[in-house]
Amino acid sequence: MEDHSQRTQRKQRTQRGAAIAARFVLAFVSFVTFVSSVPGRVAAARPGAIRGRVELRRTATPVERRPGVADLGTPAGRDIPDVLRSVVYLESAPRGAFETSEGGHAVMDQRNETFVPHVLAITTGTTVDFPNSDKFYHNVFSLSKPRTFDLGRYAAGNTRPVRFDRPGIVRVFCDIHSHMSAFILVFSHPFFAMTDGEGRYRIENVPSGTYGVIAWNEGTSSEPKPATVPDGGVAELDFTLR
Amino acid sequence: MTVWSTAGRLAWLLVVGVSAAGAQTLPSEPIALAGGRVTISGDASASFGSDDPGFFNYTDYEHSAFRLLRIDLSAAVKVSPHFALLGEVRTENLGRIRPYALYLRIRPWTAREFDIQVGRVPPTFGAFARRTYASDNPLVGYPLAYQYLTTLRPDAFAANADELLRKRSLGWLLRYSVGDSNADRGVPLVSAFRWDTGVQVHGTKGIAGATASVTAGTVSNPLFADDNGGRQIAGRLELRPTGGLSGLVVGTSLARGPFLTQTAARAAVGDGDAGAFTQDAWGGDLEYSRDHYLLRLETVVSAWHLPIVQAPPLAQPLRAVSTSVEGRYRLRPGLYAAARYDHLGFSDVAGTSLAAPWDAPVSRVEAGAGYSIQRNLLLKVSYQHDSRDGGVLLRSAHMIAAQLVYWF
Repeated sequence: MEDHSQRTQRKQRTQRGAAIAARFVLAFVSFVTFVSSVPGRVAAARPGAIRGRVELRRTATPVERRPGVADLGTPAGRDIPDVLRSVVYLESAPRGAFETSEGGHAVMDQRNETFVPHVLAITTGTTVDFPNSDKFYHNVFSLSKPRTFDLGRYAAGNTRPVRFDRPGIVRVFCDIHSHMSAFILVFSHPFFAMTDGEGRYRIENVPSGTYGVIAWNEGTSSEPKPATVPDGGVAELDFTLR
Repeated sequence: MTVWSTAGRLAWLLVVGVSAAGAQTLPSEPIALAGGRVTISGDASASFGSDDPGFFNYTDYEHSAFRLLRIDLSAAVKVSPHFALLGEVRTENLGRIRPYALYLRIRPWTAREFDIQVGRVPPTFGAFARRTYASDNPLVGYPLAYQYLTTLRPDAFAANADELLRKRSLGWLLRYSVGDSNADRGVPLVSAFRWDTGVQVHGTKGIAGATASVTAGTVSNPLFADDNGGRQIAGRLELRPTGGLSGLVVGTSLARGPFLTQTAARAAVGDGDAGAFTQDAWGGDLEYSRDHYLLRLETVVSAWHLPIVQAPPLAQPLRAVSTSVEGRYRLRPGLYAAARYDHLGFSDVAGTSLAAPWDAPVSRVEAGAGYSIQRNLLLKVSYQHDSRDGGVLLRSAHMIAAQLVYWF
């Protein structure tokens, strides 16, 4: 009886263990399937990078001053904004990329009737300071849907902050100088990069997987291009914007 | 077709056109050609408002500022660092296209802020005259000094004080016994709707800017071609302090020039000196802005010297004083509220049985708001109350108006 009882208990333990094992396997398979199904397959591995170059076939021209026919004299000189910088970013971020919502600080200066930098790429939660480095007033504002604001008029040496909490493209203007404009690209993930003076970019810390990558310049963007980042490796991807 | 129906229909067309085209498809920035050497920009405004039987808002071009479609195209051609050619054409209610400005800007020394402008040049006098574009004016109406038509004309005038007093409030259309016998409009203190022709110099040093000009007309009657052999001399000094007074602009202007046409002067005094019948004007203006508000104050004093033909004589000179106070406050991004108070008064003349201001004094209160549909597409609404102390026309009016403004 005891042997039969022990056998029965062993059998029940074995069945329970098999059930637990089966559930574990099912859970693991489900997890793998789930992870595989999200954009940009995440594997717990060493991050890689995406790098390349953005070629601008259509060079945007900086916004010109209005003719100023009513002015009593030639307007003061101004700096020309750098319209050659592009932004390259992942169309969809890997899972877990949205957990870092605490953005830092960035600066968009107003200098010689120009926003510097002309293009700023930030993550949500970032606060951008807008110092006025000119001798005269500026009035920074935006009517873009992701973030509307109007900082009012303030003099040289002063700065005013704006926090950006929603992703999107924010066009920034000066109410006093209509030729002053800038772009702030707000991302909900950190997988983006600005190009350098020669159009080169490098997006760091990208988990291995396949992603759609987009290049943007002055309101024009490319179609998403696929890039596969190997485990701990680098994917090469060039763009041409027309 | 009446002016109203024309302006109304055109305004409606503009609204529908803008909506249908999708505002984003319209240009939002100046058009640049030849590597930026040529820039072209435009302004279009459509105003539609209440009937104005008191003719309070009539303008130089015999249109009401409340019922007007105005389209401006401006261009600048930078020939070299020393030379630029600037011009502007304008049409109102799709009438004749008129050259509004055309002048050569010369900068003799590129390192110095000193310019010479020759041709049909921007006004030297006053502050508002250079920001008459609808996008610069927070309200639909204009300050009285720059728009309200007084009963004085450069080509005709009253023989005596009684005749002048009979014309009080009729500046929109009147005739006199001396000079041109056709009915025509009077002039405002300072014209915001025409520019003068001549030579202008402007220099800036530190916080101070100074401008002087010699032109064919006067501030109330700018001309393309001279009509009396005289020249107006005008000057303006403007200070823009920095540091703790940033945002403050203080200006003062002076102008003096022969007002009457040679023909009108000859009708009164034979071949006498038409240059003796002048318009003298002084203006003072102040602007202060900070954060989300903007305040402006402007005073214009004008004195006209006209011939004495008969008794009872016209008092010499005939003076007019205008004061306006304007404020604007941005309530939130893309939305502002604004208001302006204006008064225009006149000196007394003594007729046979009446001593009174030579034109009926006018007061105006206008309040409104502006909403930016997009950066360069603005919708304004205004309420305006005008009151006139004397004259034969309607003495008080309540009006509302809306204006759609687009620029690139």
